[in-house]
Amino acid sequence: MKQNNKIILIICMLLGVFHTDAQQTTPIFRGQVLSEGRPVTNANIQIDKKVLHTDDQGLFSIPVIIGSTINIQITAVGLHTLKQRILLESTDSTPWIFTLERADQQIEEVEVIGLTKVKEINRQAYNVTAIDATKLHNTTLNISSALDRVAGVRVRESGGVGSNFNLSLNGFSGNHIRYFIDGIPMDNFGSSFQINNIPINMAERVEVYKGVVPIWLGSDALGGAINIVTSTKDRSYLDVSYGYGSFNTHRTVINSGWTTDKGFTVQLSAYQNYSDNNYKVTVNAADINTGAYTQNATVRRFHDQYHNEAVVAQVGVVNKPYADRLLVGMTVGQNYKEIQTGARMVTVFGGWHRRGTTLMPTLKYQKRDLIKGLDVTLNANFNLGSEQNIDTLDRRYDWFGTFKSNGSNGERSKQLYEYRNNEGIATLAANYRLSERQSVALSNVATTFDRKGENKLDPQSSSYEVGKQTFKNIMGIGYSYDVEGVWSSTVFVKYIHQNNENGDVISNTMDRFGYGIASTYFIDPNLQLKASYELTNRMPTAYEIFGDVENQQGNFSLKPERSHNVNLGANYGWKSGDDHRFNLGGNLIYRHAFDFIFNRLNNNQSQLVADNREGVSTRGADADLHYSYKNFLTFGGSLTYQLLRNKQKYEPDYTGISPVYNDQMPNIPYLFGNTDLGLTFRNLGGKGNVLNVNYNLLYVHRFWLYWPSLGGTSLSDEKREIPEQLSHDVSLVYSLHNGRYNIGLEMRNLADTQLFDNFSLQKPGRSFTVNLRYYIQKAK
Amino acid sequence: MMKNNKWTSLALASMVALGAYSCKDDGADPAPIGGNFVLAVTPIASTGVADYLLTTDDLESGTVSIKGNGIEQDGTYRYYVMHNNKFFSMLYGQGNPGAVTTYSMVGGKLNKLSDFQTETVQAFAPVNEDLLLLKIPRAITNPLANFYQVNTNSLLITNEGTIDVQKVADNGESAFFTWIKQVGNKVYAPYMSIQACCSDAFGTAFPNNAWIAVFSYPDMKLEKVIKDDRTSFIGRYFRDGLAEDEKGDVYAFSSSVAALGGVFNSTKPSAVTRIAAGTTEFDKSYYFDVEAVSAGKNITNWIYVGQGKFVVQTTTKEEKGAYADGKRLGILDVYNKTFKDVAGLPEISTIKAITYNNYTARDGNAYVGIALTDGVSYVYKVNAASATATQGVRVEGGSITAVSRVE
Repeated sequence: MKQNNKIILIICMLLGVFHTDAQQTTPIFRGQVLSEGRPVTNANIQIDKKVLHTDDQGLFSIPVIIGSTINIQITAVGLHTLKQRILLESTDSTPWIFTLERADQQIEEVEVIGLTKVKEINRQAYNVTAIDATKLHNTTLNISSALDRVAGVRVRESGGVGSNFNLSLNGFSGNHIRYFIDGIPMDNFGSSFQINNIPINMAERVEVYKGVVPIWLGSDALGGAINIVTSTKDRSYLDVSYGYGSFNTHRTVINSGWTTDKGFTVQLSAYQNYSDNNYKVTVNAADINTGAYTQNATVRRFHDQYHNEAVVAQVGVVNKPYADRLLVGMTVGQNYKEIQTGARMVTVFGGWHRRGTTLMPTLKYQKRDLIKGLDVTLNANFNLGSEQNIDTLDRRYDWFGTFKSNGSNGERSKQLYEYRNNEGIATLAANYRLSERQSVALSNVATTFDRKGENKLDPQSSSYEVGKQTFKNIMGIGYSYDVEGVWSSTVFVKYIHQNNENGDVISNTMDRFGYGIASTYFIDPNLQLKASYELTNRMPTAYEIFGDVENQQGNFSLKPERSHNVNLGANYGWKSGDDHRFNLGGNLIYRHAFDFIFNRLNNNQSQLVADNREGVSTRGADADLHYSYKNFLTFGGSLTYQLLRNKQKYEPDYTGISPVYNDQMPNIPYLFGNTDLGLTFRNLGGKGNVLNVNYNLLYVHRFWLYWPSLGGTSLSDEKREIPEQLSHDVSLVYSLHNGRYNIGLEMRNLADTQLFDNFSLQKPGRSFTVNLRYYIQKAK
Repeated sequence: MMKNNKWTSLALASMVALGAYSCKDDGADPAPIGGNFVLAVTPIASTGVADYLLTTDDLESGTVSIKGNGIEQDGTYRYYVMHNNKFFSMLYGQGNPGAVTTYSMVGGKLNKLSDFQTETVQAFAPVNEDLLLLKIPRAITNPLANFYQVNTNSLLITNEGTIDVQKVADNGESAFFTWIKQVGNKVYAPYMSIQACCSDAFGTAFPNNAWIAVFSYPDMKLEKVIKDDRTSFIGRYFRDGLAEDEKGDVYAFSSSVAALGGVFNSTKPSAVTRIAAGTTEFDKSYYFDVEAVSAGKNITNWIYVGQGKFVVQTTTKEEKGAYADGKRLGILDVYNKTFKDVAGLPEISTIKAITYNNYTARDGNAYVGIALTDGVSYVYKVNAASATATQGVRVEGGSITAVSRVE
């Protein structure tokens, strides 16, 4: 692409913006893009230097000057590019029709040129990264492991399949990050339905909002949000995959949808994960009788089985005058999890386990142009599921699986605790287009929590328990101004109200007000700048206030936290000839959180308790670079650096400046990255057959478990650290019959190194998985 | 392609600039000092780490810091005991197994000998060549305490067994040993009677009695329970209430902190009683009402410095608590039944805590750690004869939690 002088261009654009802003009577050129008589949605329209996209009807419009000549270029996935010069003599109310010819190009090739939904998301003003999940559908990844490849994101796992995970986004983690499915908060989905056990095949794409979160994702996320977008294809399809791998791991995913011509639709998804997780670990294994440790003993994990099963069924109608989509559904799931170790691998369990169920009726309603310009989305669900914690063996185990009786206190804390959280969520999002460029949005999310639980082994202590309730409402109003392909800005305010009640004993109410702005500007279609700021508030969750009656102790006096949240980003794509394409992106982030909520051990060291830390600041940068050669090779990577500092100047009950004021926050990875190399061999062994070979390298720099400045760092000082991680993963996927049959082979941690995300908790060594997938779809 | 290069390098330059902007500044750290004294220092901003261990050869002057120095001690709570020229660092792991790290002293530095696993215990003490550990239940549904005998030469658990604490109490409640002490060839274990239930596990209906269970060793057979009704229970939760003087007489203090439903319910004052050498009964002729001579203060901790003198920590009536370690120091003379407040201490409002695990050579002096609210700590030399405290070594970077010496 020949590039003009950028400065002049910027001035022109600013003038253009100014100009169009000032005059609402500017003549508008309207066009419609069709192919084989049908509208082409989301076609890429380039008129001189401006880029815009067609809507659902294939329509687009642009202000023009009568008498001028415009150069128009239209590209769309699967269609031939159309270039045309038009002399504008007058503007007409009927749109100019452009007809594109169907192309026989490979889809993959066009993706680079056309603007996929994923790329469209990435072009928003927010600091956002979207993962195209469809490219990973032939793997056995779950959503959390796919997220691990995004710049700024680090997923820390405590073990194998189904193990505890903690996703951190620019250094924020836990409840600072909120999760959504199709824009619906996942807060109440229960342990059977979490990002570490939902297969990637359930998703079409996954959006990662770092820092500022758009108001239509009504949330009080402080550090960012993850939105999983499931397939919304109004057609009939069947997608079945099964994987078998090391440690007796089985995974099955079935996704299917069926839509009649009259608009009746049934969508059914089911999945299953099972693993013994009996991988080998190297530990100092204590003899339960003498207490002597066998140094560096290699043992197999023996009590770490995990399985979960879930079915998501929805029936309803699509494309009706009263609703684009109206679906009622039921999510049913369960999980079983054996607990092998405590917070450290020296603590071994042989009987303790957990169970959980999800039973959740759902309602989804969506309508564009309910009245002209007004789009409405309504969702509601209620989780009737329950959770159980089962620790009933009075035993002490060692790593060799032998045990002895240890009185009557269970393995850790004797209980058969069962509770229901009775959590419900209702969300309403409305967007009204005031004009071509202006829109206002309103979102409201209400959540309820009402816990009832009992320890079935101790009715006496259960009788001391009282009902625990939380009601939270988040309302957001935003205004957007959008000149497509040039710049867009959103300003928004959020008001959060929360009420907590602990039986009749105590109650409190918290109200918080936040606001923000997000802007993006295209210097040219390939060079985008982004900036966003938010004063964000995060309320304590019901679990932090009331505890989970197992590992988390409640803290009713926990204060909401708030943060200044600044993001700057740039993205630039270019090519060298037609064969070499590059994309470079980078972000700078700054956060300063007040009353930062973090988990510490309680005074008896038996449970975690959430507490406020006066301040934590984060400065960080991430960058990613991607290169592709024709449709044969892709190579890329991302690198993240973040520095979190303790900004608490005075510790409780102390008057002097804290010795760790301004120290780096411990136990948080601060330098990590990944690279991937992909090769695609087309028409290998037959026309339409494709072999994909992928290599992924994950790197995490070592970091200290406790305050970096305290204690000696020589070997004899035994300062605890989480060592550097370097993991090589390779996958081969052979697709036949244009993707109908797929055979995948994955090898993870190829070098069989000892990997740790959390101090002493060793992750699996080398593993192999075979994955078979069958996919058919019927054109509508 | 000039343009592309320009933009690429601009992006890279901004990355580099950010890297520089976020660079960490490193403060200079004082060089570590070696010596046979071991100080345990806990960071004042807790992140789940217990202490850092520092060594020094001088408790009376100088400065030590955990900034860049010290051996990290994992876990929130650590307890330390010296025996057989070894330093034992014990993890309090609640329901999880405990762990013990053993060090010897080599050239003024702690030298790690081994790790071994134990249970999390509530009382421990040297007995013969062993460390005796007690894991004590606090639920009426569980009557069995566990004992473990750790050989300090092999550093292994050589024997273990159980004690029925409800049989020891024999009053419908549960016996909770406050501490253990070897006396002659017996193990003395003073205890509090606790109801072990009803959301008030440490509450008791027997606030006006003192008991010491006497066990044989090493078979830990309960031989008798010594009883007294002149004081409330001996010692306190996790605090040693017994001391043996040069003549073999055993002195015992009662804090008088028995409670029910969070309300103190003992009518007996904080007092000292005695078990005369060679007997296993309270000496009815000896009784020392500490409250009567100290303007109503009660003892929370003590350390025997020789010649019948103790350095004691006390609380006033207002400060009194079942788990409160006193921030006041006094000199208690159990022979002459006198009490004197110690002079030369920091203003009490600036004291965060006084360590309960302190060092004495039984030469009339105790070395006591005092953590101040400004985040700095000092070791004070407390002289019993003059009842004065002198500021010694300054400790930076955290609050001192223990002072000890390893040969």
